[in-house]
Formats: sequence, C-alpha cells, structure tokens
Amino acid sequence: MTETNASLLDRAAQAAARSTPEPVARRVRGLSDKGVAWLFIAPTIVLLLAINIFPLIWAIRLSFTNYRANRPNAEVVNVGLDNYRRILTDSDIWFAMQTTAHFVFWTIVLQTLIGFTLAWLIDRKFRGHAFWTTIILVPMMLSPAVVGNFWRFLYEPQIGLFAYVVSFFSGIPPTDIQMLSSVRLAPWAIVIVDTWMWTPYVMLICLAGLRSIPDYIYEAAEVDRASNWRQFWSITLPMALPFIMLAVLFRGIENFKMFDMVNLLTGGGPGSTTEVASITLKREAFEKWRTGFSSAFAIILFVAVFGLANIYVKALNRVKSR
Amino acid sequence: MSDILLSGVSKVFGDTQAVADLDLHIGDGEFVVLLGPTGAGKTTTLRLVAGLEKPDGGSIRIGGRDATTLEPAARDVAFVFQQYSLYPHLSVYDNLAFPLRSPARRMPEDQIGRRVEEVARMVRIHHKLANRSTRLSGGEMQRVAIGRALVRRPSIYLMDEPLSSLDAKLRGELRLELKRIQAELGATVLYVTHDQTEAMTMADRIGILAEGRLVQIGTPRAIYTEPANLHVAAKLGQPVINLMPVGLLPATVVPPGTQTIGARTEHLTIAQAEDGHADGVVDWIEHLGDQNHLHLTVKDRKLITLADADTPLRKGDPVTIRLRNPLFFDGGGNRIGGETQ
Repeated sequence: MTETNASLLDRAAQAAARSTPEPVARRVRGLSDKGVAWLFIAPTIVLLLAINIFPLIWAIRLSFTNYRANRPNAEVVNVGLDNYRRILTDSDIWFAMQTTAHFVFWTIVLQTLIGFTLAWLIDRKFRGHAFWTTIILVPMMLSPAVVGNFWRFLYEPQIGLFAYVVSFFSGIPPTDIQMLSSVRLAPWAIVIVDTWMWTPYVMLICLAGLRSIPDYIYEAAEVDRASNWRQFWSITLPMALPFIMLAVLFRGIENFKMFDMVNLLTGGGPGSTTEVASITLKREAFEKWRTGFSSAFAIILFVAVFGLANIYVKALNRVKSR
Repeated sequence: MSDILLSGVSKVFGDTQAVADLDLHIGDGEFVVLLGPTGAGKTTTLRLVAGLEKPDGGSIRIGGRDATTLEPAARDVAFVFQQYSLYPHLSVYDNLAFPLRSPARRMPEDQIGRRVEEVARMVRIHHKLANRSTRLSGGEMQRVAIGRALVRRPSIYLMDEPLSSLDAKLRGELRLELKRIQAELGATVLYVTHDQTEAMTMADRIGILAEGRLVQIGTPRAIYTEPANLHVAAKLGQPVINLMPVGLLPATVVPPGTQTIGARTEHLTIAQAEDGHADGVVDWIEHLGDQNHLHLTVKDRKLITLADADTPLRKGDPVTIRLRNPLFFDGGGNRIGGETQ
C-alpha cells in the first residue's frame, strides 16, 4: 500500500473514532483485536444459525419422531430409525427418485450438448455475436414462476403455440399433442422447459472455458498440421472440460431439487409420472402433514446430493489438476 | 531444408503498417535473426512466413514454391512461440509426438517413439518424457516447445523470441544449445528477438527492422562495424554508442557533410590529463565486476564507455579523450562511406 493510502485510511479511522459516542467507545476500547473481529461477524453468525443451522438440526431431530405440524398438541413419540426404514423401502418414493434421476440425466445431457454447441458457435466471433449472446441469455433472466406459467399456455393443446408449431411440421393434429396431460409426453414437457431456460447458463460457463484457451495454442496446432477436427478433440474439448464439468455440477444440484417449474407445469401429474422427489416431499410435508417422515426424507435427499456432489468435485479437481 | 524468399511483402493492421515492402532472402541452412524494437514488424514477418497471417501484397516463396496463400499446415514450417505453447493436458512425450501423429502422416507408433526419444535427447528433456507438460520449469517447457518444432524435420524453423521469457542464465544456456542444434541439423532458421546478444552470437546474418522496413541486413560483424545509419548503430553495442556533434572532441579528419559522430568504446582513447589540458572529467565509475562503465562529462555532454576493471582513473579525474576512426553520420542519420574505416 502506498503511503498516501495508508495515511488516508489512518485519517478515516481517526474520524470514525471521533464520531463514536463516548459510552460505546469506552466499552469497545476494552476489547482485544479478536474481540472486535467477533463483534463484527456476530450478527451474520447469529442470522446464519437462526435460519440455516438451527432448522437443519431441528429437522434432524424431527426425523426421528412421528411429529405432525398440523397437530402441534399431539404427543410426540420418538420412533427411532422407523421413518428412514419406511422411506428406503417405500416403492412410491423409489419411483419418485427414479423420476428425478431421469429428469436430471436428460436435462444435463441436453443442456450440455446444446449449451456447449452454442458456446462453440458464439466463440467463432461472427458479426453480431454479442447481440446473439444477449438474446440467448434472456430465458435465464426470467423468474421460474413466470416461465412455468407461460409455458403452460404454450403447451395448451387448443390455443398453445407449441402444439400448433409441432403439428404444422409433423401433421399431427394439435389436440393430440397433450404435452402436460399425456403420460408419455409430460416428463419431456418439463425437460424441454428446463432445457430452454437453463441452456444459456451452461453456454455461458462453456463460453468462459473456450475463451480461456489462448489463441497461440491453436496457432501452434495449426503449424503442427492438426486438422480442425483434431484441434477440437485434442485442444478445445480437453481444455474446456473442467468448465463443462462445473456446469454439469451446478445444473445437477439445481435439478435434483427442482420444484417450482414442475409444480407449476404438472404438479407432479398426470398421475405421478412427473412426481420428482421434491414434489413427493412437499406432498408428504404439507398435504399429508407427516412432518417427521418428510424431515427424514429431506435429510436423505440432502445426504444424497451432498455425497454425490463431493464425489463429483473430487473428479473435477482431478481433471483440473492435469 | 530450403530457402525463404520474401519479395515486396506488406501487411497492414487497421491503420498500422506492420510490414512495408519487405525484401528478404534466407538461404538454405542459414540462421537469420531479425532484430528490432517492439512494433517493428519482426513477429508479423515471422507469422507471414508461417502462414498465420496473409500478406496484403508481395509474395513469399519457400523452397522455390510459391507459398503466399498456402495454409500453415501446407508450408512445412515449424514455429516456436514466445509463450510456451504446449498442450497443457498432454505429457511431454505426447506434446513431442503431437506433430507426428497427424492422420495424414500415418507414422507407426514405434517410429514416433524413436523420433521423440531422439529429439528429447537433443533438447535434453528425455528424463522428463512422462511428466505432465504443466509440471515443468520455464526452461524445460521451452525445451519441449523447441523439441516439438524439431521433431517433424520441417524445411524451415521460425522462432519468435523463444528465450525471452527465461531468466538470464537459462537464456545463455539455451542460446548455445539452439546454435548447436541448428549447426547439427543444418537447419534454415528465421529467428526474431530484441536481444542484441542473442542476435550477435547466433546469427549468420542479422536483419535490422524498424517501422516495418528492413533497414540493414548483413553479418553481425558488418552490422556492428558498418551500421547503415544511426538507428542500426544504436541497436548494437554495450554500452550504447555515444553520439556527439562535430567539434565536441578533437578529431583527425571529418568527412564533409558530417552532422553527428558516433563513438563506441573502441573509438575512444582515454588518458589521464597531465598538463592541465583536459577534454572532460570522469563523472563516476560503475563497477560491473569484470569491467567498469566509465561515465564522462565533456562540456555539457555525457559519454559512457567501457574501462578495464583495474583502471587507474578515479571519480573527478580530468582526462584527455581522442577519437580513433569513429563513425560519421550525415544530417539524415545515414553513415558516411567507408573511407574512415
């Protein structure tokens, strides 16, 4: 730091000291540096404890009981590991987990493929590429609630644009394209909306990866007579891989707990074809009011995501440190 | 191996004339160094030869073949970049093997292995073949980069300040090695640098570039002793040549038209003034170890020259200074004829 900066800070500190009321100043003066540091971070820690840590611990406690939030006066019985045992053997819950896995898998595959391709195209730096980048990013900037609502209209078989466009190209009458109420199509309806909304995000991260590859590596490869195809496979892809993996991690975690869009579009229906884990959880907790049971389910989901993410981050670090 | 012939080559970036009407011939097996300050067009010239830039005018012939519009891959050149342009996710071995693994070449893997081994030995990196290329020191990385240029045995080698990002000691070592390898292979090399020591020690011929133009080309000796103009004279020699107006120091014969006299250490005879008739005063002495920089004041001018480590001169001593066959330059900065040599 330069001398002027230091003296400036000094003067600012003196000014702050002068304007501190005497009783407060007297109390602070008695504190050590560490004490003052704690004083500064205490509000944040208190807030964090109150809204993050405490509910988590409370949920862990509830997960071992038969507590129901709609009957606060009923006797709370400690049931031990019963909730966990029931969840892990419940076929409906396993079905919801499978639905979630399918959903996560297909959204990641589609978003990564399309997102990377878009990033690769944008990185060609053609005329107006900045404009197109902005246009592509628009869906990501919308609120999921808005997106869910207007895609419901787009998917309307009678008046929706989606059904109209598909029938225009395929010849299938629009009334047969029941995106949200057909058992076969509903899961894909959600995958399409999520892909539409979040591909830009994956593209952005991939673009950062592609931009981080220095030009002279490509020039060296060109002089070394590597074809475009070989340059892509031996330079572009390996060097962008850590970024792609990061995008996959973010999207994976997000979509594992995906709730808002599914809830707005299908509410888990038709039947339970699109009932992902978070929808099941909401039903157990706030429709059936099995608070203890759903707490246990939430803990299981948390541990699953946390564990998978950890394994993945290890793999990511291995790729990065190459 | 083959020769390079640039005729009337020009390149413009926006409103900057990077290379202007450049004529240059690099003979088969010749080591030519382009020397010049930043922005003189050295790197652009190199990139034009490599095909990484396309010229706006003129023609480039490599080995007698017109290469003006050819893609880099079709020119059979190797390029060593200023930055270590290694493929970071590959091992040293795979980096060296990369140019050989081109699908068009279809070289069998055991032959690739032999060639890589041989080149790795040449650039003294064979003990690190299995290492990740990012786990190397700067000098090792640049050795790999040079090795990658050598492995393919192209017709010409292009090197863009390959040693500039290394520390002084390593630079000295690799300088010798590069020269040794070039002599061993009989390679045609076009080498760009702004380091005069590299140019002087490695080049068969030095080309001095300024503002996109080739000011002078010749052997290091010729460039040093017979610079075409003030710019070239100032480019070579340590300390930098002293420039002074006519009449500052008593000189023997000054050719007509002389505006500026250039004097390097070897053009000055300095002795302790004895009879009180001094030309200048010793300002201070800079000790470099093996020799000294002598700073002199003559009237209102400063001169810098080399002195022996055991010079008897001390700070404040009055001295007589005599010119001995200095360089004469006219009003336009061009050196006046060879008659003073």
